[in-house]
Amino acid sequence: MKSSKFIYFLVFAFASIGFLFNSAEAQTKLTLWYPAGQITAGAAHFSDKTLFTDFEAKNNCKIEMIEGNYDTLIQKIITAMVGGDVPDILFVDRSWVPGFLKEEVLEPVPAADAKTWLGKVNPEIVELSDYGKGKMYGYPQYGIDVYGITWNKEHFKEAGLDPEKAPKTWAELREYSKKLCKVDASGNITRVGLAIRHVGHPHGVVHKFLWGFWAGGGELVTDSKALRGGEAKFNTPGVKEALQLIYDMIYVDKSTSLNFPDPRDALLKGIASMQISETISIQARAPKEAPTLQWGVALPPVRKAGDRPVTNLNSWFYSVPTKTKNKALAWKAIQYINSEEKDYELCKKFSSTPRYKANWAKDPFKSDPYNQALVKMLPYGRAYPNNLGLNGIMEALGAAIQKVWHNEAKVDVALAEAEALANKAIKEAAK
Amino acid sequence: MAILSLSKKPSLLIHRRYQITAYFFIAPIVILFGIFRVYPSIQTLAYSFFRVELLRGRFTFIGLENFLDLLSDTIFLKAVVNTLIYVISIVPISAGLALILAVLFNTHFRLKEFFKAIYFAPMVTSTVAAAMVWLWLYNPQFGLFNVILKMFGFPGQPWLMSSHQALLSIIIFSIWKSLGYNMIIYIAGLQAIPDVYYEAARIDGASSIQQFFRITLPLLAPTTTFILIYNSILTFQVFDQVFVMTGGGPAYATTVVVLELYQQAFLKYRFGYASAMAMVLFLFILSITIGQYAISKRKEVVY
Repeated sequence: MKSSKFIYFLVFAFASIGFLFNSAEAQTKLTLWYPAGQITAGAAHFSDKTLFTDFEAKNNCKIEMIEGNYDTLIQKIITAMVGGDVPDILFVDRSWVPGFLKEEVLEPVPAADAKTWLGKVNPEIVELSDYGKGKMYGYPQYGIDVYGITWNKEHFKEAGLDPEKAPKTWAELREYSKKLCKVDASGNITRVGLAIRHVGHPHGVVHKFLWGFWAGGGELVTDSKALRGGEAKFNTPGVKEALQLIYDMIYVDKSTSLNFPDPRDALLKGIASMQISETISIQARAPKEAPTLQWGVALPPVRKAGDRPVTNLNSWFYSVPTKTKNKALAWKAIQYINSEEKDYELCKKFSSTPRYKANWAKDPFKSDPYNQALVKMLPYGRAYPNNLGLNGIMEALGAAIQKVWHNEAKVDVALAEAEALANKAIKEAAK
Repeated sequence: MAILSLSKKPSLLIHRRYQITAYFFIAPIVILFGIFRVYPSIQTLAYSFFRVELLRGRFTFIGLENFLDLLSDTIFLKAVVNTLIYVISIVPISAGLALILAVLFNTHFRLKEFFKAIYFAPMVTSTVAAAMVWLWLYNPQFGLFNVILKMFGFPGQPWLMSSHQALLSIIIFSIWKSLGYNMIIYIAGLQAIPDVYYEAARIDGASSIQQFFRITLPLLAPTTTFILIYNSILTFQVFDQVFVMTGGGPAYATTVVVLELYQQAFLKYRFGYASAMAMVLFLFILSITIGQYAISKRKEVVY
């Protein structure tokens, strides 16, 4: 009898505790998905698990930051959306956004918030934020991804070149590359003058060639702000010349090579003297991977002297899926991490470039050499087009670049084929 | 008569009970097979006739449009060609090398089991893990293969970096990966051949080569049939090593059907189109398998 009473008491006690526990105000859990890896320097801040501590305390929530591999994250996002297990916040490559918009899976930023943001940030950030008539689908990350030529100053000195001056024209680029490359006794290249990206995802190949493509008069799509319509313009004399330039550097001059696939890695390892890619990647990785590297950064070279330089702007992007259950809180979290104060704090911590005009006027940004070099480059930057067929356009162009540089096709043929495929992708996306 | 009919009934009941018990035992696996294999296959067939917008929950019937688009898709056709080259290279080479190794391992020598384990080891290694290692072996600057080539005075090769060598590089990896399994199957087949045939051949003065071509090879025909069909089915579905090592590039030089199917579905969200690709692949594998089986059956001998 006594033991059965005791058992009843225990059951009642546990049941009460459980009820009280469940009755307490439940903490909302938000998930944030981001790509991780060597190429995702812009996601470095997610390693700080206290990033959202203040926000979590004030809003009684918990933000779980979940990393995924860059190459497979799109697939995971799509699968999650189809399966109904949607993350609340996405941190993605901005070049993925048109694909998501085509499938109508991204929530637009509330109009009032968009207007406030566009009024306070730099013009380049407006370019990356605005999807037409002030409509936004997310917030570009700090640490703007501007592409420039980076070079090894020691190699330049060795070759008798001014270490403070990058090549300004395509002809100079070719000459510099010839002077900088090194071969061993058997004739194998041990150091390339200019490292090129020619393998991997076609988007990556295009990103690192846009300096030549745009400078050559090419257009990914003629109306870059519109989500639909326009046409691809690949087969221009300038674009042909740009492709042929690199082809000649590979097969005629032999000052670059297909054996050096990742230009950033090659520069950091000292087996390339120059490369053209996102400058933030070198800025973020050099202190750890090449602490003694003396490097310079400038706008990519132009077709001929006097031409206006052009380069690409890209960024990481915070957005909210349409099917998430916690939209309001998700936007609040994004606005918290993208506030003017947080922008200053994180850019200072991670030695990166801020987005707010007001922060550019403060130290360390107004006196840091890297940031000041970027300030001069930013006005020449162009964002990727908003067209919903961007994936298909980039694939077509990426394949053409690879075919030419791998000696699979002539420049004319490759570009003509790519242009036709890109226009097909634009038409498909407009349906 | 009554006595006879009474004795039949209990045995029928017992038989029926055994049948029901047997069905209960196999039911779980049949149900799981149905859910995870049969249902998705039927769904894929259905999807191939639709424009499937999974994210929007929209299905539009378009008949054979997906299949007709495949005929004009240059990248898909390139993937088909690459896959055929891959299969035609790997299947006979892997089977041939495995047969030679199996014949060698069918004799007695020191450390036989140790070497057998070495050849079989790639089979038990994860394809992705092995592909990651080979990615480094193929590295043009630091990879072991180029280091060895340079040691012998040959120039380093681009391997996976070249659109002319990338597919060959993956083929070499795949042969290395599948060799062990085929070898074990052949060893089993060799051990099933009765010694009396070899004794009789030796008495009649047949040489080793004659014994191999007149006894071993014909009697191994069922084993060879199995290896050819099994390897063909697997190699037509190649994905892991291509995804890890090259992603289908450079310039689509290594793209294969399953990789293209994956990209259409998960990177371009064209699930109906990808389903059509899957159905074309299925029909291809089925017809090749039936053809191989029919031809192989004719080669089998009975002594």
